[in-house]
Amino acid sequence: MKRRAAVNKAIWTIVIGALSILFVLPLIWMLSASLKPNYEVFNYPIQWIPSTFLWQNYTSIWTDAHMPFGLLYLNSIKIALITIVGKLLISAAAAYAFSKMRFPGKSAMFLCFLGSMMIPAQVTVLPRFVLFKSLGIYNTHFSLILPALFDVSAIFLLRQFYVAIPSDLSESAVIDGAGHFRIWIQIIVPLTKAPMASLAVLALVSSWNDYFNPLIFLVSPQKYTVSLGIRNYAADIYVNQGLAASVSALAPILILYIFCQKYFVQSIASSGIKG
Amino acid sequence: MAKLSRAARREAGQAYLFLAPSLIIFLVLVLMPVLFSGYLAFTNWNFTSGLKGIQWIGLKNFAKLHTDRNFNFALKNTFIYTATSVPMTLLIAMVFAYFLNGRVYCQKLIRTFVFIPYISNMVALALLFRCLFRSDGIINSMLTTNFGMEEGLKWMSSNDLNKIPVILLSTWAAVGYSMIVYMAAMQGIPESLYEAAAIDGASSHQVFWRITVPLISPTTFFLMIIRMIAVFKIFTSISVLSGDIVARGNISLIVKIYQDAFGNYKFGYASAEAWVLFIIIFAATLLQFWGKKKWVNE
Repeated sequence: MKRRAAVNKAIWTIVIGALSILFVLPLIWMLSASLKPNYEVFNYPIQWIPSTFLWQNYTSIWTDAHMPFGLLYLNSIKIALITIVGKLLISAAAAYAFSKMRFPGKSAMFLCFLGSMMIPAQVTVLPRFVLFKSLGIYNTHFSLILPALFDVSAIFLLRQFYVAIPSDLSESAVIDGAGHFRIWIQIIVPLTKAPMASLAVLALVSSWNDYFNPLIFLVSPQKYTVSLGIRNYAADIYVNQGLAASVSALAPILILYIFCQKYFVQSIASSGIKG
Repeated sequence: MAKLSRAARREAGQAYLFLAPSLIIFLVLVLMPVLFSGYLAFTNWNFTSGLKGIQWIGLKNFAKLHTDRNFNFALKNTFIYTATSVPMTLLIAMVFAYFLNGRVYCQKLIRTFVFIPYISNMVALALLFRCLFRSDGIINSMLTTNFGMEEGLKWMSSNDLNKIPVILLSTWAAVGYSMIVYMAAMQGIPESLYEAAAIDGASSHQVFWRITVPLISPTTFFLMIIRMIAVFKIFTSISVLSGDIVARGNISLIVKIYQDAFGNYKFGYASAEAWVLFIIIFAATLLQFWGKKKWVNE
């Protein structure tokens, strides 16, 4: 009986494993094609291992005169880092107020925040475009960072964790003379490192992969992010270079995933509120 | 409002300080824009004419939507994307989650494979799909070489076929998310139920359809709404797949809004279109609240 179960399990492993390989097969094709000479890219049957490894496809986009890939990386990293730090700070502060403090208008404000989750970015993007143009932050990285700092789902998630922290902990700190700011920074934040890490991962992925906002708010190529920039590597003519650019765009997130798998999975399983 | 004591006033003041950054961004970049956009929906405004060029035209934008052929195509296509991609995503995710809860070996590796497209850059994935589906691409080579078709299909230029790469792409990239949520939900099903089923001699087929599927139906409902809202907003995949010219066969609501706003600078009209999308999403969210209540009571 036990042996039969093990055989069963092995058979299902082969079936499900084969299906799961279908999910990465296109990406493996992309990796292999990105190292081929252009005339070999569409060879069929697929030649999975290039006859010669043409690293030049990568070096040419990384040293491109108009838009070196390193610049795209720098822009994207800068935007992502500022967004993550700012978003975590601002959301954690708001979550603290909503969970540990009393003030008039608390529940109304919380409802307003929650309600705003329904508003698709496409409704607010035109007025934001007008506003940013008149404020002079159109075509700067701030036009991407500022709107991303306000994140209701982050506030909501952190608030849930804060509510679960017993109040006597903070009350005894009050008796010791600590103000709210110190309670928040010295007691609450250190206790919620795990959800903060999950939120950071989530924020990084959405910032790195965002295409809609950079498309609207950035015009100068030297300000482009990775998502926006990879379209410019002549994907239809020099297919191999276009694919090398795509691989370069995917690589950082996938490498990060290998090291922080736990937080990627937790960010979805625990929040379950982000699409 | 009752008069607040000194300490309470102090605390309220501090609370507002904690909230200030969020509140300011909410007011300036969410609330004000929504109101302004609601106003713009009733105006005719070419952005290039400046604020003075805004003309109030009442409901004319919404009346025009009825006869705008591309808008109707966009609406129809968006619903087709939802009706195909969402069920496919959920079914595949459910099957993977079921087996990844202790029914196969190498679970972590399989989970990683399925999850990778979800965290991948959509522009990169769409560029990849463009190579797979172009007329001399891999898919057509496969069809002509292995499946005996005379010639490849026009995946990109045919208005009947160009939805298919979009649907496949959005499904492929979405399964990972739903799978993780399903896995968490399935871990909540008591082991005793499965043991009882095994004693009664139920096949794994029966176990899946009679125990797992019904018990995770609240999760299915939740994921359905989340995925529906995400697919209503489909943009990047289509924009990159089609290049600069999006055909009527696969145009979506957001692509249409984007074209009207930033191709033609018709900000008033584009706002009206955006509000139609908003109303659809609002309805889906109400449905979710209703469903939540229903399932909690049962």
